[in-house]
Amino acid sequence: MRFHLGRILAAAACALLATAAAAATIELTQARATITVDGTTTVSNVVLPYHLDREQGTRPAQATFEVRFGSPQDRTHLHGLYLARVGNRAEIWLNDSLLAELGDIGESNTADFSKSPQYVPIPAQLLRAENVFRIHLRADGGRRGGLSSLVVGPDHEVLPLFEAANRWRLSASTAVAIFSLLVGTLALVLWATQVEGKPGPIVHDGIYLTAGVAEFCWALRVGDTAIVNAPLPWPAWGVVATAAFAGWIAGIALFCHHAAGWHRHPTMVWMRIAMMVLFASSIPASWLAYTLHQPLLLTTWLGCANLFFILYAVVYLVAAVRAPTTARLLIAFAGALNVAVGARDWVAIRISGDYSQSTWIRYSSVLFGLALGYIVITRFRAASAQANDLMGNLVSRVSAKEQELLRSYERLDQLGREHERAAERSRILRDMHDGVGSHLSAAIRQLESGRAEREQVLQTLRDSLDQLKLSIDAIHLAPGDVTALLANLRYRLEPRFAALDLELQWHVEEVAAVRGLDGSAMRHLQFMLFEALSNVLQHAQARVLRIEASASPGGALVRIIDDGCGFDVGRPLRKGLASMHERAAAIGARLTLESQPGHTVLSIALAEKSG
Amino acid sequence: MWRVLIVEDDARMREFFAASVSRCDSLILAGSVGTVTDARAWLDDSAHAVDVLLTDLGLPDGSGLDVIRHAMARNPACEALVISMFGDEENVLASVEAGALGYIHKDSTPDDIAHAILEMKNGASPISPMIARRVLAKYRDLRSGASSSAPDPGRKAQAEPDVPEPAGGRALSPREQEVLELIARGFSYADIARLKTVSVHTVQTHIKHLYSKLAVRSKSEAVFEATQMGLLHPPGRA
Repeated sequence: MRFHLGRILAAAACALLATAAAAATIELTQARATITVDGTTTVSNVVLPYHLDREQGTRPAQATFEVRFGSPQDRTHLHGLYLARVGNRAEIWLNDSLLAELGDIGESNTADFSKSPQYVPIPAQLLRAENVFRIHLRADGGRRGGLSSLVVGPDHEVLPLFEAANRWRLSASTAVAIFSLLVGTLALVLWATQVEGKPGPIVHDGIYLTAGVAEFCWALRVGDTAIVNAPLPWPAWGVVATAAFAGWIAGIALFCHHAAGWHRHPTMVWMRIAMMVLFASSIPASWLAYTLHQPLLLTTWLGCANLFFILYAVVYLVAAVRAPTTARLLIAFAGALNVAVGARDWVAIRISGDYSQSTWIRYSSVLFGLALGYIVITRFRAASAQANDLMGNLVSRVSAKEQELLRSYERLDQLGREHERAAERSRILRDMHDGVGSHLSAAIRQLESGRAEREQVLQTLRDSLDQLKLSIDAIHLAPGDVTALLANLRYRLEPRFAALDLELQWHVEEVAAVRGLDGSAMRHLQFMLFEALSNVLQHAQARVLRIEASASPGGALVRIIDDGCGFDVGRPLRKGLASMHERAAAIGARLTLESQPGHTVLSIALAEKSG
Repeated sequence: MWRVLIVEDDARMREFFAASVSRCDSLILAGSVGTVTDARAWLDDSAHAVDVLLTDLGLPDGSGLDVIRHAMARNPACEALVISMFGDEENVLASVEAGALGYIHKDSTPDDIAHAILEMKNGASPISPMIARRVLAKYRDLRSGASSSAPDPGRKAQAEPDVPEPAGGRALSPREQEVLELIARGFSYADIARLKTVSVHTVQTHIKHLYSKLAVRSKSEAVFEATQMGLLHPPGRA
């Protein structure tokens, strides 16, 4: 079955033009052909387009086509010759003048001009009443060599025909190639940068790799239309182009597989193997078809591929309809359309061998690129929505944690304050018990016994008040500030020193705060010093009292020295002294006493506590 | 002869102080009242004049500090002493800032009371080491506060017209600083006079001068300054 759609369209265009331009443009389809294949030359009348490759069994051939035509209506204007296809290399002569040289017809397997339409301007002076085109061709086996019909007419009529054809075949192919390159680059960049966010080894997303490889293959395959001088000789370049086509269909099939989510299915291994076989088999199929001049091999390979993908497209379409997503439906539609177009191309080009036909799949293939674009956009939108969601979630969780932290800080703070208050309360209670309380009860006992003298009771009460004042002062003492403690003690006891006419020698340095001596410890120290000074005032009968305070390595040293009568330090301790020892032990201070008549020294060595 | 007004709500205490003043030849008991209202009324009476105000702080209808301010406002020459149970730093400093020049302990002997009044009129003011330490700390904070930025610039700027020279005219002189440091270490006036080879009177004058530096002119200023100086805690941070 011959596929004549292209010819019908061209004829229709010509007819339209002919009506509009008073039939100035003519299509020449009758030619006398002299064809040489394998050293045998035949001469015959042929109808154009003449598919040399196909008519001569894809064997290399040389041919000369003689096409005669009468006088054009107007021989004064520039004319033009439009050839939908000519090649692979050709020389175009008009009335023994060389009009155009498309490659070197003396060489085999070099440039290929048959991929794009040709236009040759015809100077008016070359036109005569009777004209003859002589077109010498060189066709390489299997490369679609031949000659289309010749469209001759005034330049302004013929050139638009050429331009329209060129736009579709060359410009559109170039645009598709560039689009594929862009999509392929984007896909490979995505493949290299996007990894699946799962724990374990880094996994790149295969959908991008398959799409990238497919699009690069396609750029090569479609871009080949614009390549006249291929980097490789024929048929090696033909094999490359076929392999690129195979790479594209294999890549696209795997891409579709990924898009459907089937890549996680155990059968994916088989799909991969099948695609590799498809790709690999394209090389020998095309190589053998070109070198053995057996186009059937390639046609069969293409037919098998078509059959496979028709089935695949049907399965895919059914699956997509059953579990539809926009991406799946889009890809299913693109796949089905491409398979249909592929089948059409196969029939139109491989089976019918219509020389004026070109592939349509180059245009329909763009759908895959658009589908990939859609997938990428939806994925990024999903990812960005997910990121926003995550961010919002994170922010709210962080703020919740902050609140929690704040609450626990507040709790800790409150506990700390409560602890402080409790400690302060117990300190005050102890102070009251040991200080004011005991003094007041002593005063009451003294009064009750009736034996105590007025002065004794007064002294007890004064002691009580002094204790109370010291107790209040202790609240304001900075922790560890031994100097302040001593200064304050002196200030409170000053009236007593004055009353006894005691010479007070004050040698108190500004001692840096002793670390670890907290409020409670300060109160203990105050008690000890008060007790010591009370002892001197009440019992020592001293004339000189010397009070020293200085910093010592790792703490401070306080000494109280008097020249009183002294006492036997070996004797069982009086209550006051015993209490001093207890307090010293409680705050980790070392209390030492040495006494002889006229010289008594009480030392309190305070050690810093870490933390 | 100094005329003395006593403001004390405890009748027995008031009588004790009144008796102590009356005993002294150099002092005249001008009046004795028990409430802020009575004290104000007494001070407002143009027939009354007073040189020395002796006031308790905790009065039934208000604070003795108000009485001090009222008296100072009417007669800046009037000098005030506060009757304090313990001579504790918070009460004393608040009194000094209100304009008091000293304090008398409640458990003082009658002689001590008269002596303290006469000393003050003579140019002396008592100070405890605890108070000296607080004052030193306050000036240290002021200095570091002046060199670093203020904690609340807006508030500082707003307060500036009221406190034109916080570190200038009211700054401690080096001698005052030395005296304060020695007092803070527990040295007596006599010790300091000996160490610095000056008279005890000079030392006492330094302290009285210091007190007048600490006094502030108005209540709002007092609150602000006390907060600035760390003597009072701002609300909400107690």
